[in-house]
This record gives sequence, C-alpha cells and structure tokens, in this order.
Amino acid sequence: MSEADYKELKKGGMMRQAEAGHFSVRLHVVGGHLDTRQLRAIQEAADRFGRRQVHLTSRQGVEIPHVPQDALAAMREFLAPSGVGVGVCGPTVRTVTACQGCKVCPSGVIDSPELAEAVDREFYGKPVPHKFKVGISGCVNNCMKAEENDAGIKGWIEPRWETPSCTYCGVCAAVCPTKAIAMSEDHRTLTVDRSLCIGCGDCITSCPSGGMREESRGYRLFAGGKFGRAPFLGKRILGVLKTKEEALEAITAVLGFFRTHGKPGERYGDTLQRTGFPALETFVKERTGLP
Amino acid sequence: MTTPRLDITGDVCPMTFVKVKMGLQRVPPLGTLTVRLKEEALKNVISSLKSEGHRVTNVSHAEGIFLLEVTKGG
Repeated sequence: MSEADYKELKKGGMMRQAEAGHFSVRLHVVGGHLDTRQLRAIQEAADRFGRRQVHLTSRQGVEIPHVPQDALAAMREFLAPSGVGVGVCGPTVRTVTACQGCKVCPSGVIDSPELAEAVDREFYGKPVPHKFKVGISGCVNNCMKAEENDAGIKGWIEPRWETPSCTYCGVCAAVCPTKAIAMSEDHRTLTVDRSLCIGCGDCITSCPSGGMREESRGYRLFAGGKFGRAPFLGKRILGVLKTKEEALEAITAVLGFFRTHGKPGERYGDTLQRTGFPALETFVKERTGLP
Repeated sequence: MTTPRLDITGDVCPMTFVKVKMGLQRVPPLGTLTVRLKEEALKNVISSLKSEGHRVTNVSHAEGIFLLEVTKGG
C-alpha cells in the first residue's frame, strides 16, 4: 500500500497503527451521543474485527483499534445497518463536540446537541485547508471549551437593565464575576460594559427586584482556537446570535473565510494571526448581514 | 417584635442557604428575616430564595458585608 493510499484511508477515519497492517478505525459520533443500539453494534464489531477493545477519544469520539487491513471493509459494512458510520481525519471538518444542552442540563441556555447535529449535517468530513474543529457549550460554564476550537459556541444570556424596578441595591455589581456592572457614586445610574460581560446571567438570577432582566438568550461565537503544539485561544466575534439558524450561518461564513484565506496545512488560528481578526469579522458580517 | 436576625458570614455554600431555610422556619408567612452575609454568598442565597417563593425586600451593605431583608413567601 502506498503512502497516498494510507492518506486516503486516514481521511476516511482509518488510521494506520504503529503495528504493521493494523488500523484504528474512528467512528462518526456527534456531540458524544450514541444510542444503545449503536453501542451494541460497536461492541460486536470490536469483538469480531478488533481485539475486544474500544478507545474513547479526546473529542467525544469512539475508535476501534487493532483492526487488520483486510477486515476494514467488512467492519464498515457490519456497522452501517445500526447507524454507525466511519469517521474522518486529515484536512476536514472534524467531530463536532457538544454538551447535553438545555434539554438535559439545568445550566443549559441553548440546545447544543441540536446545533451540533446541524453543523455535522452541513459540514462533517468536508475538505478545508487544515483540520477544523467545532465545539458547542450550552452555557458559559463552557464544559466543551469553545475557545479551544476553530469555531466554538457558548450559550449566552444578555442582561437588560430596567430603571423603574431597580432599587440600586448593588447586588448585581457585587455578584458580577468580571465587574462588568458599575454603579455611579450617587447610586442612581448603572452601566453594563458589554465588552466585559461573559453572559453568565448571575446578575439576573441574583437581582432581588427584577431590575436586571434577560434581554435575550443566544449563541456566542469564538473563532481561531486550537491546542496541540502551539495552543491559542479563540476570540469572540459578532454579537449574540439569536437563533440556531443564525449560528449556523455564522459558522458557515467562518468556514468560508478559512477556505478563502487559509493556506494548505495552516490551522485557522494561524490564518487569523496573519490576516488579523478584524478581517474575519468584516468578512462574516458582509456574508451574513449579522451584527 | 423585633425582626429575627441570622448571621451566615462564617458559612460557605451550601450551608449558607440551609441556615437561611432553617431561619425562615421560625418566621410566619409574609414575616421578615434579616440575613447578614458575605458578598460571595449573595448569588446562591438570593437565587435560592427567589426560586422558593420568598422575596428580598431590602438590601444594604457596608465593607463587603450585606444585609438582606427577606420576606417569607405566603
């Protein structure tokens, strides 16, 4: 088998192992979600074609290691009827990670698995200049580490201050973890610095009078993050996106920028270091019309 | 009758709210309990009070210590 063949297999989620003639087969998992029928099929496949082992990856995925080269096709066929596809590697849009989101987690603000499914349907395995990872956190507790991804999302709560019911008690300013809320000396005005606000909503849950209310719940986009050899945290772009559709549109434009400006083998964060983040923001705003 | 007073400045979560709940047992519906607490306990105590149907009707503070006037739910 030529190096080119190995590369093709790798793109299709079949990674050559250190041990000659064996492959670790990456499976298609979205947001770490598998049903029990899929799990049984994976178990059976590992028993039949591997060495009765599975590996849980760092991005909520599953791999079946120790599969001999001549069993690869048979294993794929075996898994397909149970709804288990083979994954991807190489310069493609990778596994979309997600928490359980607002339908399961009491802290959840957005339905992260729903957005993960949508991103996966649209982009999974599609070619890009270099690997492209998407991670979706349902709230700003950020279990999925949005800033570690090429495109990351956090569920976000925008506060709104309403003068009539405010008693100027100072609780919101005291609980704000980033000191984004300031009260004037005479205790009659309150300002929220949007650039410091991290969207946690603590000011709203703690407000005794109802003066601090929810303006909206939505999606916050971060771009250009990566780990690996030279880690870099993604940066926040655009305002709070109101719907799943807006979030998907913004991610589409973020990917579009990578396809337009990224060099082969260059991670998105490095592309953005070269072009600057304002170039990305301008591009995304022009493409989507989002604020 | 003076308003019952509770000091939870020496407690940490979850004991802060446990003590407030116990404190409120001594208060009749719509009665008032004054709670003295540190800034770091504010969020959990107030949000728990709100979700259990009580109201914080007055807040004052000095040097990082807050005084909440809690009106028990009816």
